[in-house]
Amino acid sequence: MIFTLILTALYNAALTVFVYIADKKTPFGKISYKSKQWIIGILFGIMAAFASMRTAGVDIGDGTIMNVRDAAPICAGLIFGAPAGIIAGVIGGLYRYISAFFGITGTYTQVACSVSTALAGFIAAGLRKFMFDDKKPGWVYGLGIGMLCEVIHMLMIFFTNANDPSTAFNFVKICSLPMMLCNGFSVGAAVFIISLLSKGRSGVAAGGKHISKTFQMWLFVCIVIAYALTSTYTYILQSKMSNTETESVIRTSIDDVNQDILDMSDENLLDKTNRIRSEYLKSDDKSEAFLQSLAIGYKVAEIHIVGTDGIIKNSNKSEYIGFDMASGEQSREFLQLLDGGNESFVQKYRPQAYNSDNSRKYGGVTLPEGGFLQVGYDADEFRADIADTVGKIARNRHIGETGFIVICDDEWNIVSEGTEYTGQNLSNLGIWIDTGSNPEKTIFDIELRGTPYFCEYEFVEGYYIVGAIPKTESLFMRDVSVYLSSFMEILIFAALFVLVYFLIKRLIIDNLMRINRALSKITNGNLDVTVDVRANEEFASLSDDINSTVSTLKRYISEAEARIDAELEFAKQIQYSALPSVFPPYPNRREFDIYARMDTAKEVGGDFYDFYMLDNTTIAFLIADVSGKGIPAAMFMMKAKTVIKDLAESGLAVDEIFTRANAKLCENNDAGMFVTAWMAIVDLKTGMMSVANAGHNPPVIKHAGGRFEYVKQRAGFVLAGMEGLKYRRTDIQLSPGDRIYLYTDGVTETTDTHNQLYGEDRLVNLLNSIDDKDDKSLCDAVKDDIDRFADGAAQFDDITMVSFSLNFVKGDDKITFIPGHDAGTAVSDFAAQLTSKLDVLPKVSSKVSIAIDEIASNIINYSHARIAEISYSIENGRLNLVFTDDGNPYNPSDTEEPDITLSAEERQIGGLGIFIVKKMTESMDYKYENNKNILKLTMALSS
Amino acid sequence: MTIKQTNENGNVTLALSGRLDTVTAPELETALERALDDAKELCFDFKELEYISSAGLRVLLKAQKIMNTKGKMKVTGANETIMEVFDITGFVDILTIE
Repeated sequence: MIFTLILTALYNAALTVFVYIADKKTPFGKISYKSKQWIIGILFGIMAAFASMRTAGVDIGDGTIMNVRDAAPICAGLIFGAPAGIIAGVIGGLYRYISAFFGITGTYTQVACSVSTALAGFIAAGLRKFMFDDKKPGWVYGLGIGMLCEVIHMLMIFFTNANDPSTAFNFVKICSLPMMLCNGFSVGAAVFIISLLSKGRSGVAAGGKHISKTFQMWLFVCIVIAYALTSTYTYILQSKMSNTETESVIRTSIDDVNQDILDMSDENLLDKTNRIRSEYLKSDDKSEAFLQSLAIGYKVAEIHIVGTDGIIKNSNKSEYIGFDMASGEQSREFLQLLDGGNESFVQKYRPQAYNSDNSRKYGGVTLPEGGFLQVGYDADEFRADIADTVGKIARNRHIGETGFIVICDDEWNIVSEGTEYTGQNLSNLGIWIDTGSNPEKTIFDIELRGTPYFCEYEFVEGYYIVGAIPKTESLFMRDVSVYLSSFMEILIFAALFVLVYFLIKRLIIDNLMRINRALSKITNGNLDVTVDVRANEEFASLSDDINSTVSTLKRYISEAEARIDAELEFAKQIQYSALPSVFPPYPNRREFDIYARMDTAKEVGGDFYDFYMLDNTTIAFLIADVSGKGIPAAMFMMKAKTVIKDLAESGLAVDEIFTRANAKLCENNDAGMFVTAWMAIVDLKTGMMSVANAGHNPPVIKHAGGRFEYVKQRAGFVLAGMEGLKYRRTDIQLSPGDRIYLYTDGVTETTDTHNQLYGEDRLVNLLNSIDDKDDKSLCDAVKDDIDRFADGAAQFDDITMVSFSLNFVKGDDKITFIPGHDAGTAVSDFAAQLTSKLDVLPKVSSKVSIAIDEIASNIINYSHARIAEISYSIENGRLNLVFTDDGNPYNPSDTEEPDITLSAEERQIGGLGIFIVKKMTESMDYKYENNKNILKLTMALSS
Repeated sequence: MTIKQTNENGNVTLALSGRLDTVTAPELETALERALDDAKELCFDFKELEYISSAGLRVLLKAQKIMNTKGKMKVTGANETIMEVFDITGFVDILTIE
């Protein structure tokens, strides 16, 4: 039964889900769209054919099968594509049409079914294409479309069987609800399951979420209300009309029977009266006794001879003689026989005026001599006369198609023949008619064998004529009208729904979407996008407004940008001016060189460097990078720089400087800024460098004669990052020729156009390849290499570097220097410093100076030493000068003495210096130890 | 070291003060190149000079060689130390010392 239909509906849903999964998960999904549509179309066409079969549906009589065929093409069209839907529909329709010829399917709805199946395919295809943008609809739509197609199906049954509406209606009445529900269920379930499977994936057409949904909802509500109103109105109107119709049908039938009975009864009485008249005329005896004998013979109650004056002249009952017919209401009617018009008159059966228990019927016939003969006939008698014929009157009579009409006696016993109920009392049939509450000639409800009937009766000549018609028949036209108009309304409203949806989509949603797309590009920062929706005036004006707003915005932004750029440029200049920027910064200090450069990115950055002499022999230098960019970073940088410098100048050690700077920078640091820093303090007298690192890139250091290498000292936490931190100090012994290169991450994190980082390895290799240059050239070379590397890629961060190199270390009693590197001056200064300390005659100090100058210049010019040292000590009034160098072994004592007697033209200058020194010193002591020349001079300090 | 140069009709006087050593000798050499061009008589005034080292001697020798070809050269005001250097190196025989 209905379960068969539900099962078939489920088969169809299952097939849909199966094909969907196959499309998504198996190689089937890879084949071309065209062949896929064909395959799916044919598959669902077969499904439609299967659903048409007797086994898949419910036989509702005459070989017509209720089924769920239409769901297949709908699923194909809605879910898999318009062509598939059309193919499936056509296949299903053709099968249905052809199979009817072979008796496989019913012929009654052959055309309707096949056409509506094909139509279902087309409708699904059309809706997918034009309403759902070629996407799957939501399950509610699936349900609705499934039901809608069945509405069309039902209408097709009506239209194709217009000449037999009753049968068509019977089919529709049985089929419509189950088929609508099952088809709707099948499609809705299929779409629902698929939407569950594809959750998270796009492709379910929501038709634009917001406006269209609201419109659809209200449209739907309005349509439902309009549908309910018109349907109710049709129902009420049609009910009224069919009531009137029913009434008149029953009325007419009863009237007919009524008239027949009357006619028969009248005829019977007239016949009797005529016979009595002829006996009366034939007889010569006109006595009362004769009339009495006649009355007995003819079983009548009264026989009166009425004169032309309307007075009873003679009667079988003497008490009537002399009665004036004009005096009684009933008798007066007979006076019409006196005016020569009618020759006979029969009065209706009625209770007697003076005895209402007895009903009597009167007939009258004119007499030749004038006047008339009247006969009164008692009910009992005449009923017996007509009983036979009355029984026949209702035979073969019925009301409408299936209604009935029966005649009952006054006890409600059925007297009419031709029914199985003849002789039975109505109450035996379950019908009780209470003449009090259901007066005659009014319609009331009865129930016969469980079927409701409209019923009416009339009492005539002692008989009840009862007519009844089943309500179903009576209301048939109403029901047909209601069904038809409902279906038509659903169809029209669905079309209206689609149309309004379509118009809203075309006129509003699509345009809004276009505007939204443009707007989202604009809000993403592309202010060059213009909105150009000119579908109608409203959107055109909206577009213009948006465009003018955007262009105004664009102007403001560019103005603001220009202002900010100018301010940033100022900030950059202030930042620059805060950093030492004159190089060389200490032209008189030959012990070291320092160079620094900062190349800021477009924005103001937080990098900085600094250096300052803490006292005559101590230099501090640092490099730092403040987190973030822009004005805040620049301001924080100024603060950090000042704090560190203040602390450094108060003579603290480098670790203590950082510890205290951290504490100060942590105060009121609500912005959460921090700074990485690396700082060194170098004692120029000893070459000892003490270093602290607060989370900064490690420095690259090259020791004299070596290569640049990272000094991976353990770094402390960034400054201003956390309160109460202590920083560590690392001491590094520097020698003349050592170089320290500091940088910020802007160097190593420079990216090229392929987003590759410059990197530490590349930096170190470059530094080593450009070794011999001075600090400025070194920094500039690095910057040039970075620029080459970036190859035009934008600079995102400040690039800052500091290069420090130590040339010589001049202590109180010792100088360490690199021969050839401005060393002469350094040595000369050292000699001056030494002699000024000795409290001796100028003659002696000059000799010391000469000795230092001669030996040192020898080392500087000829030894090829990498490093040399001069130290002195005073012992027993004698000055000991020790010269140490790692150059070629050279013993000055072995030098051949120059010939000092030659003329100016012949003199060679070589060897003269050593000769002078020899002559001026008390002793000259040379040894070569550990690859070093060690020359010790002893000079007397007193002359 | 500072060099004060005067020129009176080809009588060029270079008055040196400070030290004439490896560091300062190149300065004197440069000064001489200009001074020797039109000098007929060259005089080194060593009154203010503290000492001289072999680098200074080399410049003096060079100057002497040039002046031998075009005129006279003399050294005046040398102190004890300078004279000692001149003695040790035999420059007393080469130079004209007043």
